[in-house]
Amino acid sequence: MLSDGALIKIQHIRSKYQDARSCLLPSLHVVQEENGWISPAAMEAVGELLSVPKATVKGVSTFYSMFSHRPMGRHLIQLCTNVACMVMGADSLVDSLRKKYGLEPNGTTADGRFSLVIMECIGACGTAPVMLVDTDLHDNINENTLLTTLGKYT
Amino acid sequence: METFLLRNIGNPNSADINEYIKAGGYKALAKALTLKPSDVIDEVKKSGLRGRGGAGFPTGIKWSFAAAGQNKPKYLVCNADEGEPGTFKDKLVLEKNPHLLIEGMCISGYALQAEYGYVYLRGEYPQAKHILEVAIKQACDKGFLGDDILHKGVRFQLAVHQGAGAYICGEETALIDSLEGKRGQPRIKPPFPVNEGFMAKPTVVNNVETLANIPYIIEIGSNEYSQLGSSDCPGPKLFSVSGHIKKPGVYELPMGTSLKEIIYTHCGGIAGDKNLKAVIPGGLTTPILPADKIDCPMDYVNMPKHGSMTGSGGVMVFDESVDLVKVCGRAIKFLERESCGKCTPCREGVGWLRSILDRVAAGEGREGDIDLLLEVSKNIMGKTFCALGDSAAGVVQNFIKHFRPEFQDHINEAVSVGS
Amino acid sequence: MITVTINDKKIKLGEPVTILNAAKMAGIKIPTLCHHDLLEPFGGCRLCLVEVEKVPRLQTSCTMYITDGMVVHTETEQVIEARKSMLEFLLINHALDCPYCDKAGECDLQDLVMKYGPSSGRFTEGKRKHPESYDDPIIVRNMERCISCTRCVRMCDKVQGASAISMVNRTSKTFVEPFSGGRYNCEYCGNCLTVCPVGAIMSRLHKHTYRPWYIEKNIETVCTFCGVGCSMTAQVRGDSIVRVVPEIVKGVNKGLLCNRGRFGYDYVSSSSRLEAPLIRKNGKLEEATWSEAFAYVAERMQEIRAKGGGSAIAGIASARCTNEDNYVFQKFMRVTMGSNSIDSAAGLAFAPGQKYLESIFGQGVTVNPISGIAKADGVIVIGGDPTSVNPVLGLQIRAAWQKKVPVITIGYTPGLKNFSTHKLLPAPFTETIVLAALVSELLRKKPSAIEKSPFGELVRTIQPVSPEEAQIACGIPVWELAGCADTLAGMTNPAVVIGRDIIQRAEGPANLMLLAALVHLMNGRIYLSSELPNERGLVDMGCLPDSLPGGRPITVESFRKRYEEFVGAEIPSSPGLSLMEIIEGARAGKVKAIYVMGENIAFNIPGHAYVKEALEALDLLVVQDVFLTETARQAHVVLPGLSWAEKEGSYTNLEGRMQHLNKVVGGKGLEDWKILSEISRLLGADMHYADAKAVLAEVAKVSPLHKGITYEDMDGGQCMWPYKGEPLRHDITLSGIGVPNIRSLLKRPEKDKTYIGVEKPLFHSASMSRNSLALNSISAKPFAKMSRELAARFSLADGDYVTIETSAGSLDLPVMLFADFPENMVLVSNNFEGAGVYKVLAHKMNETIKAPELDGIEISLRKIERITAEVSA
Repeated sequence: MLSDGALIKIQHIRSKYQDARSCLLPSLHVVQEENGWISPAAMEAVGELLSVPKATVKGVSTFYSMFSHRPMGRHLIQLCTNVACMVMGADSLVDSLRKKYGLEPNGTTADGRFSLVIMECIGACGTAPVMLVDTDLHDNINENTLLTTLGKYT
Repeated sequence: METFLLRNIGNPNSADINEYIKAGGYKALAKALTLKPSDVIDEVKKSGLRGRGGAGFPTGIKWSFAAAGQNKPKYLVCNADEGEPGTFKDKLVLEKNPHLLIEGMCISGYALQAEYGYVYLRGEYPQAKHILEVAIKQACDKGFLGDDILHKGVRFQLAVHQGAGAYICGEETALIDSLEGKRGQPRIKPPFPVNEGFMAKPTVVNNVETLANIPYIIEIGSNEYSQLGSSDCPGPKLFSVSGHIKKPGVYELPMGTSLKEIIYTHCGGIAGDKNLKAVIPGGLTTPILPADKIDCPMDYVNMPKHGSMTGSGGVMVFDESVDLVKVCGRAIKFLERESCGKCTPCREGVGWLRSILDRVAAGEGREGDIDLLLEVSKNIMGKTFCALGDSAAGVVQNFIKHFRPEFQDHINEAVSVGS
Repeated sequence: MITVTINDKKIKLGEPVTILNAAKMAGIKIPTLCHHDLLEPFGGCRLCLVEVEKVPRLQTSCTMYITDGMVVHTETEQVIEARKSMLEFLLINHALDCPYCDKAGECDLQDLVMKYGPSSGRFTEGKRKHPESYDDPIIVRNMERCISCTRCVRMCDKVQGASAISMVNRTSKTFVEPFSGGRYNCEYCGNCLTVCPVGAIMSRLHKHTYRPWYIEKNIETVCTFCGVGCSMTAQVRGDSIVRVVPEIVKGVNKGLLCNRGRFGYDYVSSSSRLEAPLIRKNGKLEEATWSEAFAYVAERMQEIRAKGGGSAIAGIASARCTNEDNYVFQKFMRVTMGSNSIDSAAGLAFAPGQKYLESIFGQGVTVNPISGIAKADGVIVIGGDPTSVNPVLGLQIRAAWQKKVPVITIGYTPGLKNFSTHKLLPAPFTETIVLAALVSELLRKKPSAIEKSPFGELVRTIQPVSPEEAQIACGIPVWELAGCADTLAGMTNPAVVIGRDIIQRAEGPANLMLLAALVHLMNGRIYLSSELPNERGLVDMGCLPDSLPGGRPITVESFRKRYEEFVGAEIPSSPGLSLMEIIEGARAGKVKAIYVMGENIAFNIPGHAYVKEALEALDLLVVQDVFLTETARQAHVVLPGLSWAEKEGSYTNLEGRMQHLNKVVGGKGLEDWKILSEISRLLGADMHYADAKAVLAEVAKVSPLHKGITYEDMDGGQCMWPYKGEPLRHDITLSGIGVPNIRSLLKRPEKDKTYIGVEKPLFHSASMSRNSLALNSISAKPFAKMSRELAARFSLADGDYVTIETSAGSLDLPVMLFADFPENMVLVSNNFEGAGVYKVLAHKMNETIKAPELDGIEISLRKIERITAEVSA
């Protein structure tokens, strides 16, 4: 069920820990990175590999907000609207995304290009508003720079 | 003041090990390995260093608890889950000065006789993960980490363990649960992590900034270190300043610097020269201060006497344009989303607070809402499993304490509109 | 001594306990929701907050330990306010469903709110919504009522070990879910149901059928689905069982049950229950009166005895009936019929196993408390999966493993897959080699472990087998055998759990001998798996061809004479036929009549066709049972007995513990012992019993082992062998105990053969459970279980149909595929009508121990190609 690449990465992770259960979060990250989300089949496969019951894997995976359990778009927009970003105008950016892409928080655009997740402070408050697109950090965004930045992600 | 923690960050290659060594790095490690582990702990104790994550617990004392136990192996965990909104200092250290952290962890591991170290890094810092892993490899290659550090027969291995978006994992026992691959929920104490932590073994959890101070203490000695900052809280402090400020960013200043000085002298004052309305001095969940109460020294011992806390040193500045009821609501919404769900008052009560605040902020407030907010907060305060629920209650109580009229205005408007 | 003051009451305790427990000891009750005695403290609900002097915050009494001099207040204004606010918080999202919710009346939350308030809520915002889940056949999940106490999840994870459910999400969006999100697909033990304090996890079987305050009687009884005998309370309304709940404090199971005991009792009220006697007239079974039936049986039995003597008559006693029933049965057979040919389903494995081990170690060697397993320093499991045969015993093994005790499993034990240190899966039927190799290694490592005794000397002569030789013969790698032997050598008093499968082999005696050797070398404690509830009781009551009540051998004259004196009649002096010999005897025309009580021999003995022929050859087949079983359908007379719920009596579980069952509901049949005594009386025997108590009184007089026993003795829950009597003491002669010829077994297993094996499913038990609607809703049909590799060889996918054929018969079944499954084996259960594995197993008896041999039976597999127009089953 897991790709060969994922299996190799998880084996490597396993070698860094004495206990298999500790590998659970890193292994779920591998799956999330590769597929953009963690499917029930993937949870089951990871559980098999690490000898963790699959219901337990599900319980752990759903606890953490950075693990998605639905298929996501090609690019993940993680936009912060916590207080520092809010007072610097982040809420209007949410509106812009809605207007320009028809994108709602926790939603995906119809063409599967973007998914939007609202974040709770990603540690760049001094240059607010900020967002992560995949693993790229973009700060000091305004309505214009938001759209030009996103235009680069196909 | 001469900076140490941010010593080299002007250099675009500051994260590279060769640049770090050129600027004087890893000398403290060499010096520490000539001392006995117990001597290193003594140095840290004498330095007066307190934990920089927010609790301000004396680091040397925490270490001595862990060192006293015979149970092995021991673990050192760096809490890099910087989740407190308004705080972004650790990110800077991780991305621009990772070797400072590595060196600090290695010295600390030696002092504690811990052979394994983990950096629990929040999932929201993907760049930091990459940079840190490269730095760790560089350190291993040069013999600063591994099985035989500096050929002294000392073992210390370091691995990066990513979190996945849970503020509660900044709490040390929840962090340890998360490290063990579980849902990150806080544990019953006692036992304390220094006795039974990761895998039921003695574990010391320290903040990034705390560990970054260790090479400084070794380099200049505990005597000189204890003269820096304030006498109650020695050492430098990284302040993250954000909001309606002219020069936001991370500032390394002596512990005890006045909040007013930080805002007006170092950060240039309010953006657009507007009027200051309020400041949250130490990260979102510390008590808010109105503009006329910011003449206070930012250290762990004295801030409580002035009605707030130093916390993580995340200074959030708000000008007169800010709707504080909305800010309060957003802060509570944050805490609601981050509640782990273990205990009743936090899981249910914080959500209740948020729904009332949402109504009030949206112009649907009712008479009695303010008193109800205070009632619910009182019912949460002091009854929760950990500090997250308490923080939510505290936020509501402090906002209302200083800005009740603003809440009342929202309600009056709503009532008069007849909603 | 620790002195603590609670509510001005001073208490002195010897060791630190939590404030909650200290208060309980002082008679002070502190409210809790997330706390449960079977689980570790959680500290989440915050209901138990109390004031502790000198401590600034209120503390949870369930997690805080007392210290000397501590002063606690549990009813101050601050504490009461705190409780009220916690309850108000819980009622924010908790659906106010009381009028509609099944839990009302026995709901902890409801009780607490009634006691501590608030009487009205101030929450006017929106509640969370969550549709009630009906996806599962047994459990209804209502997550609007869930209070996140996590008792269910902690129970499933830490105690049951099944980890089928988990908390998902966080914040107030947290709720409980099985992996699939709908159907549980778990072990259906119902222990989550037992611990849920509110109506979040409810039983679908009882939804909207009654209110707790309508329960009229709570009757303590014992489960009769297996040899553990869990204590439970049957709750009765009118004359039916509305529900069964576990006993928390008493008994073997301490609040735990398995799916069969918890939900499977509904067969008692099945509409298929026999209600009136039946006599075959003109080839058809027709209803008759009791007097007609009694007269018929008495007459026919007398005829047959007059013609052929007592040896022409045989009796099959019941491992499902009470000790009282079985005692009267053997008396009926011996005194009225003059026959020693008495046996039961215990003869299939349990009785031969016990007899073999007792002839080495003495009577009582298998008497060990189940609770000792979790306290042992090692566990060895062989011959079947205890988690499906004796589930609550299996839980002890899981508990041991969780405490880091090493567990070794030999053979296919899927329920211990995640609970064993060494999982040895030898090639089919080569366990003997594994045992021999382990014994050899142990002898090599610890030669001094052999004791100076006759058996010790025998052990010394066991032919050594090297791990290399063993690997060739059984396929287990050398390193695995060596590692396993190392682990064994470290054990000082392990629990050795022996299942049926290892006894029902051509090498059954050899396996038992080697296991005995292991026990000898490691000072092990034996647990003999007992699939049926009263197998041990049968042995104790003398329902064996060579044994009298109390386990006294019939061949010893003094014992026989003593019993003859009591009953005032002669008893045949030579042993009778055992179970399989009875069948063979019937087929050969030597046994002319069989009286079957509470057993379905036409289905529950291997070789259905063979047994059918045997029964057809009889002049008289009398069946006393509660359903019209396969055997009853072949009978000349069918007499309706009573189920466990309908009579008083005692059972003896596999530990050797006698337990008292109370009558729960009325039934249409007659007590089994009553039927037998009526027939006996018609034949001139002196059998008058007013009730079951009177039967027990006779047992107490007659059986040296049960001297003076009463129901009161059993009600304490501590009535362990040797009860109040004397065990059999005799010189151990080791007769019949031989050292196996191991070397002859060291051959490479043949690769291209496929074998059939017996599966013991978790959700069914022999042919009784098929009458339970509840159990059928979990598992409705049989499967042929096999590995993916084997399936691939025959182009079979999950759900395809296959014909399994042997010389004894054939079966058509759908397949179910597994990874980690024994190679070259197909496992089928023997529970479902027309689809029992015993149909394709030949009737073959091991001459030494008289148990059936079920190994080495090759099968041919043929995929059934389905025509697309056919409607699938």
